[in-house]
Amino acid sequence: MIWLTWRQMRAQTLWSAGIIAAAAAYLLYLGADIRDAYRLNITDCTTGCDDAVHTLADQFGSGLLLIGLFLLAAPALIGAFWAAPLITRELETGTHRLVWNQSVTRTRWLAVKLVIVGGVSVLFTGALSLLLTWAAGPFDKVVDSRFEPLTFAARDLAPFGYALLAFTLGLVVGVLARKTLVAMAVTLLVFVVFQLLMANVLRPQFAEPVTETIGWDDANTVGHIDSFGIGPQGAGIQEYQIPGAWVVSDYIVVYKGDGTEFTEADLKTCEAQGGTPDDCLIALDATFDVTYQPADRYWDFQWIEFGVAAGLAAVLAGVAFWRIPRGLS
Amino acid sequence: MNTPVLSTNALTKRYGRHTALAEATLDIPAGRIVGLVGPNGAGKSTLLALAAGLIRPTSGRIEVLGRTPAADAAQLADVGFVAQDTPVYAGLTVGDHLKLGEHLNPTWDAAFADGRVRQLGLDLGRKAGRLSGGQKAQLALTIAAAKRPKLLIFDEPVAALDPLARRAFLQNLMEFVAELDVSVILSSHLIGDVERVCDHLVVLAESRVQVAGDIDDLTAAHHRLVGPRGTLDALPDGVQVIAADHTDRQTTLIVHNTTGRPFEHPGADTIGLEDMVLTYLHRAEGLTAPTLEETRA
Repeated sequence: MIWLTWRQMRAQTLWSAGIIAAAAAYLLYLGADIRDAYRLNITDCTTGCDDAVHTLADQFGSGLLLIGLFLLAAPALIGAFWAAPLITRELETGTHRLVWNQSVTRTRWLAVKLVIVGGVSVLFTGALSLLLTWAAGPFDKVVDSRFEPLTFAARDLAPFGYALLAFTLGLVVGVLARKTLVAMAVTLLVFVVFQLLMANVLRPQFAEPVTETIGWDDANTVGHIDSFGIGPQGAGIQEYQIPGAWVVSDYIVVYKGDGTEFTEADLKTCEAQGGTPDDCLIALDATFDVTYQPADRYWDFQWIEFGVAAGLAAVLAGVAFWRIPRGLS
Repeated sequence: MNTPVLSTNALTKRYGRHTALAEATLDIPAGRIVGLVGPNGAGKSTLLALAAGLIRPTSGRIEVLGRTPAADAAQLADVGFVAQDTPVYAGLTVGDHLKLGEHLNPTWDAAFADGRVRQLGLDLGRKAGRLSGGQKAQLALTIAAAKRPKLLIFDEPVAALDPLARRAFLQNLMEFVAELDVSVILSSHLIGDVERVCDHLVVLAESRVQVAGDIDDLTAAHHRLVGPRGTLDALPDGVQVIAADHTDRQTTLIVHNTTGRPFEHPGADTIGLEDMVLTYLHRAEGLTAPTLEETRA
C-alpha cells in the first residue's frame, strides 16, 4: 500500500519538492540578507538608529509579506491539488473498484493515503513555515507585530495546522463531491473562507482581551500613538500600538481626569495658555482605555490556532473514515 | 467447500427512491461458474458490487464465502473482482500493476501472474492506458486471479470487447478456472456467452431475481406445453406457469416444474436456455413472448 501510494504521488511530490526547494533556497538567502542588514543598520548602529528600523522594515517588509501570502496559499493549493483529487480521480477513472478489491481494507487504504500524502503536505508547509520564521527573525524582532494577521498565520505552528486542515478538507470534499473540478473549487473556497473566519472572528476570541487605562504621560512609553485626531465630536486615537501585542480597540476615546471626554474646546482653552497639545492633555490628566491581547500570549495563540485547525482536521478525517468503508459507488 | 459462495436473504439496495435491487434471495453453492443474466439496468452490477463489498445493502443480508463482503483483509483476499470496463491505472505500466498486486495481496502468485502476462504477450513497460480494451480486460483478469481467490467475480467483462477479444477472454477464463479451482460469478447480457461457460444461472430483471439454479436442472425443469385451448387449465401442484399464449384454438404454456419429480404431460417439450431466459425477462417486463414459437418451434 505504501508502495502504491508513493507510486501514485511520485510525480506531483517531485515537482512540488522542486518548488519547495526553490522557496527554501530563497528563504535561506533572504535570511542571510536580513541578518546582514540587521547587523549593519541596527547592531552596529551609531547614529539615526530609529531610521534604521524603518529602513529595515521598508527594505524587507513587502518581500516577507509576499512569501507569507505564498505560505498562506500553500495549504489551500495542497488541499485542492493533492487532497481533493486523491479520491475523486479514483472514482472518475473507476480504479477504486480495482484497488478496493485487493487484500487491503478501505480503512487501511485511506489511513496510508492520509498519513503519507497528508504527512508530506504538512512536512512541506511546516518546513516553509519554520524557514520563513527563521529568515524573518530579525525583521519580526524589529517590527515587533507578530499578531499582525498575515504574519501570525504564516509563522511557527499555525501553518502546520492549516496544512492538516486543508488536506483533510480536500479529502472529505472529494468524497462528498466526487468530481475533481468541483471538489478543487469547493476546497479552495471553503479553505479561504475558513482562513478569513479564523483571522477575523475566531482568533480574537481565543482569550479574553485585557483592558488597561493608560495615562497620557505614559502613552508613548507603553505603546505608540499612530494618529490622534480632534474635532467637534471629541478626541480620539485612531491607532494605538503596543510592541508585540495585539491591540483590539480601533478607535480610542480620550477622557479627562474628571471622566468626561476631552473636547476641541478643552484644547483651545489650553492652547490659549501657550502649551503644546501634549502638555494640555497631561495637565488635564487625560487617559484612555486600550483593549489588547498582551504580547506574551503569542505562543498560547499559536497553539490554540494549531489546535483548532488540527481538531477540525481530526473531525474531517473521522468523516472520511466513516464514509469510505460504506461505499461510494 | 460446503459454504455457499454467495448467500443472500431479502437483499435490497436503494439509491434514494430508485430501487436497484429488491429482495434478492440466493444460495449459490461452491464450485460453480455462475452466469448472472438480465437486461441493462436489471441490477446485475448492484448485486456484484454488493458481493464485492464496494457498496453496502440498504436492507437484507449478504454473505460471500460465509463472511460479510470486504469485512477484512482476509475476506478481500478470498474474492477477486473485475469491475465493469475493467478499470486499470492509465498512468501505471503493466509491470506496475503486477507490483501493485504483489504489494497489496499476501496471497499473490507471482509466477502465475508473470506467466500469464508473458503468455498474453503484454509488454511490462507499457502504460496500461495504452493497452487495447481486450488487453486491459486480460490484465484486470490476471490481477484478480493471481491473488488466488476462492471466488472470482466479473461484471460484464466482455461487454466492451469485440467478438475476437471476447472469445479470447472467455477462453482464458475457462483456463483459469480449470487451473485455479475457483468459483466464478460473471454477469452478462449475452446469453450465448453464459451458455458457453456457465453451469449455474441467475436471471435478474426489474431489480428482482426471476429464477436461479444449475443450468442442467433448470433446462430439465422447464417445458413448453401446447394443447387445444382449455385443456391445459389444470396443472399439478408445483408446476408454475411462466408464460401463457392463447390463440383461438390453441394454448401454449411455458411452465417451471418445481416439484423435483419428472414432469409427464402430453405435448410437453423441453425448451432451450435462451428461450427460458427470454421468457423470464418478458414476464418481468409484463409482456408475453410471442416470438418464441416462431423462431424456435
